[in-house]
Amino acid sequence: MENINDYKIHPREVADKSSKESLKKAIKLALDVESDAIRLNTQTFNNNKYKSIQKLYDYEQLKDRARQIKEDAIENLPVLINKVIEVVEARGGKVFCANSKSEAVEYIKNICLLHKAKLIVKSKSITSEEIELNTTLENAGIEVAETDLAEFILQVSKEQPSHIVTPAIHRSRAAISELFKRYFKTDKLLETGEELTEFARDILRQKFLSADIGISGANLIAADEGSVLLVESEGNIRLTTQLPAVHIAIAGIEKIIPSKKYFGTFIELLAASGTGQPLTSYTNILEPPIDLPILNLNGREDKQREFHLVLIDNGRMKMRADKELKEALYCIRCSACMNSCANFQAVGGHAFGGECYSGGIGGAWTIGTSGSLEKGRFAELCSGCTRCIPNCPVRIDIPRLNTTIKSRLIKEGKTSSLPKYFFGNFSLLGKITSLAPGISNRLSSLPFSRRLMENIVGFDKRRPLPEFAKKTLVKQFKEYRKESFLKNKIDWSNTDTILFADVFTNYNNPHVGMAVVRVFEKLGIPIMLSKVYDDGRASQSQGLVELTAKRAVKLASYLEKFVNEGKDIIVAEPSVLASFRSDYKKIIKNEQLSAKLAEHTYDPIEYLNLLIKRGKLEQVLRPDLFAHSGKQIFYHGHCQMKTIGAGNAAPEFFCRLGFHVNVSTVECCGMAGSFGYKKEYYDLSKNVGRDLIRQIINSDSFNERTIILASGTSCREQIGDELKNTIYHPVEFLEIILENGIDNK
Amino acid sequence: MPEHITDNLTEHFIRAAEEAAATVEKVKRDAVALNDCLLAATSDDELVLFAQPDDLDEQLFLKFRSNAKIIVNPTNEQLKTIKTGITGAFCAVASTGSVCVAITKNLSSPISMLTRKHIVIVDVNTIVPMPRDVFSEEYAGGKGLKRSFSFITGPSATADMGPLVRGVHGPGKLHIIIMEQADGKY
Repeated sequence: MENINDYKIHPREVADKSSKESLKKAIKLALDVESDAIRLNTQTFNNNKYKSIQKLYDYEQLKDRARQIKEDAIENLPVLINKVIEVVEARGGKVFCANSKSEAVEYIKNICLLHKAKLIVKSKSITSEEIELNTTLENAGIEVAETDLAEFILQVSKEQPSHIVTPAIHRSRAAISELFKRYFKTDKLLETGEELTEFARDILRQKFLSADIGISGANLIAADEGSVLLVESEGNIRLTTQLPAVHIAIAGIEKIIPSKKYFGTFIELLAASGTGQPLTSYTNILEPPIDLPILNLNGREDKQREFHLVLIDNGRMKMRADKELKEALYCIRCSACMNSCANFQAVGGHAFGGECYSGGIGGAWTIGTSGSLEKGRFAELCSGCTRCIPNCPVRIDIPRLNTTIKSRLIKEGKTSSLPKYFFGNFSLLGKITSLAPGISNRLSSLPFSRRLMENIVGFDKRRPLPEFAKKTLVKQFKEYRKESFLKNKIDWSNTDTILFADVFTNYNNPHVGMAVVRVFEKLGIPIMLSKVYDDGRASQSQGLVELTAKRAVKLASYLEKFVNEGKDIIVAEPSVLASFRSDYKKIIKNEQLSAKLAEHTYDPIEYLNLLIKRGKLEQVLRPDLFAHSGKQIFYHGHCQMKTIGAGNAAPEFFCRLGFHVNVSTVECCGMAGSFGYKKEYYDLSKNVGRDLIRQIINSDSFNERTIILASGTSCREQIGDELKNTIYHPVEFLEIILENGIDNK
Repeated sequence: MPEHITDNLTEHFIRAAEEAAATVEKVKRDAVALNDCLLAATSDDELVLFAQPDDLDEQLFLKFRSNAKIIVNPTNEQLKTIKTGITGAFCAVASTGSVCVAITKNLSSPISMLTRKHIVIVDVNTIVPMPRDVFSEEYAGGKGLKRSFSFITGPSATADMGPLVRGVHGPGKLHIIIMEQADGKY
């Protein structure tokens, strides 16, 4: 890593991601100087989160409840806003509804001037950064002391937040130490975390004791009692909101929920999802103006407590009216989505973020509050891996928000569409090359072709091209059927099990498809191959939503007869399985059909596990028939496959046969279909991939003969680019061990 | 509600509080025992600020309050330089090891947030199973619904300066004293 304090570009210069150039520079900056710190911190939070949510016995129901509460709240927002005004003002507080940023900062500035405030203490509020409050106050001659340590650091470094909960997550302790030493020119020891904390603490304690006014954000506001929820670990919010007589709270209107009774649900979810704790050190419920006597430790003679709630619209009502973006308003700012995002773990919010909002949810918030679609360009860094979805406490479909942004950028001509159409029409490419695969493969790998591809469609020269098979799966299957019919005289026309010919398996990995066919038949399950259809995965990942819908509807209608007949559909490619089990519910707008498709589609190994549980294959797949107890293999679970709940299928299956299965715990390999092919994301993709490679290499007994299994084509590509080990789709490996017993290669 | 929480709230609370880096002890419900306990907890401290717990009998604390270093009506200067403070908590939460301190007319909240060492006394009867229960009429006499308050879980901490550091703007030490029921049980 280069030194963050000496780097040639300051993160502020590339905070506005409107231009492709700034996104590119920001990615480079993050990879050059911030990646290690961000990965360490986000993965720590991510791991703690998984531990914490295990302790929430009703986690799934809590999420359902939280989702319902937020949906209702946003639906009834105008009524709730009026209720808040009524309740707070009845208690003697004031509510100001600001339509715009400037209205909000003007109001706040005037309160400060009215009270002749020289010093403000402030706790962390990303909303306050959205409205650019500090600049306005400072220009009016008022000192603003950020009291959250991360914000204190950012005040010194002048950087924008790189995370919505821990905004200085891009800085390691060493980087902070050096920053402080340069800025403060003190001879105090500033090496350890304790020393740095003590240093900042002493400076800020003086600010708390002398500040004229305290400004905070708000995590949630309860309309029935006018209660403000404020969650923290440091203790700065308590001091900010209780010591000065005047307290100003800034909150987006989406923070309002109907009742204080719901706080319990949210505080349990927020702490577990955000920092992975049962509760943060201080969870404050205030009903301002509070009863607490005014201490006037600051030497003022304030007689009465004053509370100002500044409710901010700044684009939120418009988001509420936007069918696709509305869901973003349910966000409770926990940061689980960004902590569980492999791409975010690599670059943080200075690349995967804008001027104040970061991560998967950041794109929608940026375009909603800035009114600029282009500022949301960093949404391209969402590869659609879906690992954020099960981690979101309010069940927001974050990848879908980002697909919307990508789609709108294409529609408004803010992004080059040629690469999008190239990568989004992978199936067309497959069809063309299958006419003459040998020549196509050879021609496309020529250096001249590679340069051309990079220049025209952005396909990075360094990425090995996907090989197009000499014979498609459809062709191979046809030949195989003919041959085996002549041999065995079995009638295949009435099987209950269909193998879906997805475009990836058909054109690139027919050997995987054929392995499914042969293995299943060996296990007594005759299988029939469907026709080839594009499921829309490729076009969806590019943001080509109409094309995706067209393809999805066509395919769903083709498969309808199979599912109506109760047939089981095997899908070898995980991203396609995810289409059926998850995406189609929202794309094909036929509830019954999408439910049936979700129910009747399976990963091949998942399917075998199911049959074993039903007692069907127990004798054929008896562990004692296979002599490899204790043999180590490595399994990497595909991101979308994990989200749909099939991530443990292969480990379970092979463990049962006596293998020792080491599994990866990374969220995503970083290849994500076309993402890793793209020139602008190659370095990011490789950075993410290397995290997985490290895990594999460091696993138990790993050596170059260790067999690696990965269900996803992209994953095998990404791993294969760095390791020489043999990498199989689990079903290919199963075929080998069924034939030979296991032998080292 | 999982049995392991409702089964023995007190033990569960102690475990969770210690996991959150608080220290915990139990004390008998009488003035002498409280006095001994609190003196021991503050033996190294020169000056201790004390906020009479709202929900506990004042008689229990008279002996302790009579000690010279215990300040019940601090000056501003004493508040600004406070090192050790004692308050009550109107309830506690078993699953998280949290105590709930009200923001009210007395000095409990300022003392608990300005001090470096916070000693908090909580009645064992007021331990509820989970944070959500504090927002219910069924628990702690519905007090959680009627007031401003803070859940306090362990000492203050930050992860912003590298690996976790304890003792930031809030206290660096939290000591919880659980007071037994009238019949001597916990």
